[in-house]
Amino acid sequence: MMRHGDGMNGPTKPAPSRSVVRAMIWATVPVLLLVQLLASAGVEVSSFWSQIRQLDARIARVAESRAELIAEPLWKMRYDQVTGVLNEVMHDETIVAAAVYDDTGAVIARVVARPSVQALTEVSRPVAYSNGNIAVQAGRIVIAYSYATLYADTGSRLGLLLVVGLLGTLATMIAMRISANIFIGRPLAAMMSAIQRSKQDGRAYPADVKSSNEFGQLASAFNAMQHTTSGALDRLGHMASHDPLTGLPNRRSLSERLVTLSRDAGSPDALIAFCFIDLDDFKGVNDTFGHDAGDKFLVHISERLRGMVEWEDWVARLGGDEFVVIRPEVSNEAAAQVFARQLLEAISAPILLHDKQVVPRASIGLAVRRAGDPELSHLPALADIALYHAKSKAPGTVAVLDEALQRDYRRRRDLELAIPAGFSERQFEVWYQSQVDMMTQDVIGLEALIRWRHPEHGVISPGEFLPLIERSGNNARLTRYVLTDACRALQQLATAGRPQIRIAINLPPSELADHSFAAELRETCERFGIAASSLELEITEGSLINNIASASDTLRRLRRLGATIALDDFGTGYSSLAHLRRFPLDKVKIDKAFIHEIPDSAEDKAIVGVIASLAGTLGLTLVAEGIERAEQARAMREMGVRLGQGFLYHRPQPLDAVLRGLAEAGAGEERVLADSPSIAPEFAA
Amino acid sequence: MMAVLRILLAVGMAFGVLAPAGRVIAADAKPLNIVFVNPGKTGEVYWDMVAQTMQAAGRKLNANVEVLTSERNYRTMQELGLGVVARPDKPDFLILSNEESAAVPILEAAEAAGVKTLLLSNTLIGEDAVRLGPPRRTLKNWLGDITTDLTTAGARMANALIGAARNEKWQSPDGKIHLLGIGGDEITPASIARNAGLQLAVAAAPDVVVDRMLFANWTQSEAEQVAANYLSWAQRKGIRPAGIWAGNDPMALGALKAVAAAGITPGESIQVVGLNWSEDALREIKAGRLLLTDGGHFLLGGWSIVLLRDYADGCDFAAGSPHVEVKTSAITRDNLGSVAGLIKSRAFDRIDFARFRAKPGRCGQHDFSVDTLISSLSPPSSAGE
Repeated sequence: MMRHGDGMNGPTKPAPSRSVVRAMIWATVPVLLLVQLLASAGVEVSSFWSQIRQLDARIARVAESRAELIAEPLWKMRYDQVTGVLNEVMHDETIVAAAVYDDTGAVIARVVARPSVQALTEVSRPVAYSNGNIAVQAGRIVIAYSYATLYADTGSRLGLLLVVGLLGTLATMIAMRISANIFIGRPLAAMMSAIQRSKQDGRAYPADVKSSNEFGQLASAFNAMQHTTSGALDRLGHMASHDPLTGLPNRRSLSERLVTLSRDAGSPDALIAFCFIDLDDFKGVNDTFGHDAGDKFLVHISERLRGMVEWEDWVARLGGDEFVVIRPEVSNEAAAQVFARQLLEAISAPILLHDKQVVPRASIGLAVRRAGDPELSHLPALADIALYHAKSKAPGTVAVLDEALQRDYRRRRDLELAIPAGFSERQFEVWYQSQVDMMTQDVIGLEALIRWRHPEHGVISPGEFLPLIERSGNNARLTRYVLTDACRALQQLATAGRPQIRIAINLPPSELADHSFAAELRETCERFGIAASSLELEITEGSLINNIASASDTLRRLRRLGATIALDDFGTGYSSLAHLRRFPLDKVKIDKAFIHEIPDSAEDKAIVGVIASLAGTLGLTLVAEGIERAEQARAMREMGVRLGQGFLYHRPQPLDAVLRGLAEAGAGEERVLADSPSIAPEFAA
Repeated sequence: MMAVLRILLAVGMAFGVLAPAGRVIAADAKPLNIVFVNPGKTGEVYWDMVAQTMQAAGRKLNANVEVLTSERNYRTMQELGLGVVARPDKPDFLILSNEESAAVPILEAAEAAGVKTLLLSNTLIGEDAVRLGPPRRTLKNWLGDITTDLTTAGARMANALIGAARNEKWQSPDGKIHLLGIGGDEITPASIARNAGLQLAVAAAPDVVVDRMLFANWTQSEAEQVAANYLSWAQRKGIRPAGIWAGNDPMALGALKAVAAAGITPGESIQVVGLNWSEDALREIKAGRLLLTDGGHFLLGGWSIVLLRDYADGCDFAAGSPHVEVKTSAITRDNLGSVAGLIKSRAFDRIDFARFRAKPGRCGQHDFSVDTLISSLSPPSSAGE
């Protein structure tokens, strides 16, 4: 329809209708004219022939009737009468001449109307005379006539038909043009106009077509379709900006909302509370009850949030288990905190999933800013900082964004950005803490522990930077860094005449899942010319659980190389006895939490005792971590735990210090103090 | 001329006055009142002569003959006839001529009025004849009719032509004698009868053929025209025309003209016959151009009075037949002299009509032949000759 393809034409431009109507007229009118002319010409020609035949027949009849009339006068030689009869014939204007011959062939009478140059047709009839006695041929009548009148009549009629045909066609054309404009052009124009207007603002404009014909039906169908389309567009828009599950606005709506927040605020000083809500352990819910239940869970939460807030508040789901609630005006930060806590309370009501009560838990990061704050668009990021804090430090609480949190956030961000430089500039240092035979006080092994000596922030504890390493995907790189350092240390130990000392390195879960690690380890050992059996790999229970098959596979490969496998921090996690049996373990390290209260805590003593007897049964070597006091060492010895690790013996220290200490053999009791953080360094998430 | 006529008239009147006196035998007969409704026109030779012979006979036979002329208008004729019938003093006899069957109403009215009627020249024909039957049956007062035997006349004329042609050997290349017939019309009994005579004569002569029977409405000019046409046609056809038979004298005269115009000499190379005893015909006969003219039937007028006189005197002509048919006669160069004068002068008082009455005891038997006529004629007045 829009042949010129430019939808920018005026909506009332009749171009579309013109083309259709014109095409129709061009398609029909010549055919109509042709058919009309052919038909009328055909009729006229056939009429002409029939008139010719009629004329022939009529003249023949005339000749016959005249023959009858003149038979007697001819026979009776009343030639004047014959002439009289013949003269009467001449009233017929198609007859040009007539003659009567007697039985001798002599002309008895002849009349000529006019000399004619045209071809004449002749009809000749015998003149038969009879009376009671005789029947003779008295002579012959011949009539010459002309078709000229017929030709002329037919010609003029053809001309007339042509004129009438042309006039009829013209009238048809005008009628078609008018009716097509009324019945086709007008409704099309109305629909085009509706489309144009609709194009401009995307709204539905009904085409104003009243007729009940096909175009009326088309227009109503078009209107219905437009309505449907516009509804679909509305729904599409709604879907784009809303979460299909809960019906809450989505992340995209949040960006739009942020734009309008300051504008909609009563004054620039109005305080806006931004609550970033993250459900704790939603993954657990999904895993335990299935995704349908998880969805139901989310819907419940969203309904609670919606029920909690006032009409001016704004609730959104950003995805997964993240929700946002904005209260556009709070009196102060305390009121905002109260509001956030109310939200937490509302969330925390138990939910029935598969007939089991689940108590949802969530953490909230709260950020409060003035409406006039130019950084208002950063509210989600700010609240996210608070949320990070809440989740990492105190899940299930509200963390309010303050200067300290922001500082922490900035420090974290700085450190994360500094990780590549940390590697390249060898800012990471590996320190070693000895494992000691608590009977003999001999050092039988070292645990490699990582430190980050940052040029600005100084030494940073692994507890702070390891999550950043993991989050930035540098676990493998760090592990190889430590492995390489440990191998180099083993060389030095061997050089120092202490080849029996083994070095343990912590293996993060991601490495345990990496099949190539075993091969890399062997290669590294070969490169440094050391035996893989000098290496001990410490893993945590958590890393085993996450990927049982892959983990046990890697462990078996490592053991085949001769490496020792130690289960770290035993007792804090799942402490599954089954794990001890199922995985190829050599050593179990009892977490310092059990050691700390010993020997005062009878419970801890009982636990350690059970673990010790179990380990004895399974043929596992036990190591007690966090030995700080002599009585702890004594208690361990009493319970049959021979190996220990802790400040009582050595703090983690650089290899040089370790080597120096070993060199002063015999002076095993000497303490080397390290300037490391007080918290026991752990290589675990 | 006038003087001659006057003398003739005077003589005639004297003779007429004397005649009854001379024939006193029938003097006891009462005078008759007879009305004749003449269908013809004044000046129409035949009907004038009929009326004249009728009146002449009346004078001879003590009958007053009143002639009413219709002037060829049949409506007039009927008015006249009906007027006569309605008269308070009705005539004894009413003579009518049934031309175009126009006399029938008068006949019926007369029947009702008790007037005795006689039809002259034209009697009842066709449907009327069937419906009314013979005289004196349905119409008691219709006494009968007196007509001319024109068929015989026609045949006699034809035979004269044939005889002449045979004598002169006027056969055409096909060996036949070719004649032309010119009839007056095709519908009146008088015409049909004489035409039939021609056909009869020709039928009896296998060597004769009538090429055409043409009709000329009794008139000379039309006859001349058709005769000329015929002659021309015959010439183209290679026919030698031997004779022309004309139904009356005027047509015969027309034919003569055409013959002459065609360069043929009548009487020498071709013969023409006519009918009517007309003066012109008699002159042509005398000139040798016309072979003969048949006729004399105008005498029917006189003969009708004779019949009525007999009837009134108790000698009913119907003793023979109520249909009295009178033969005509031919006038040739041979007998031309006797009657030419009579015709020319119309001196019908020269005819002694009393001689033609039926002899006692022989009612209905009359000798109306031309010979008797000639012998009955009193010599013309010396002055007239």
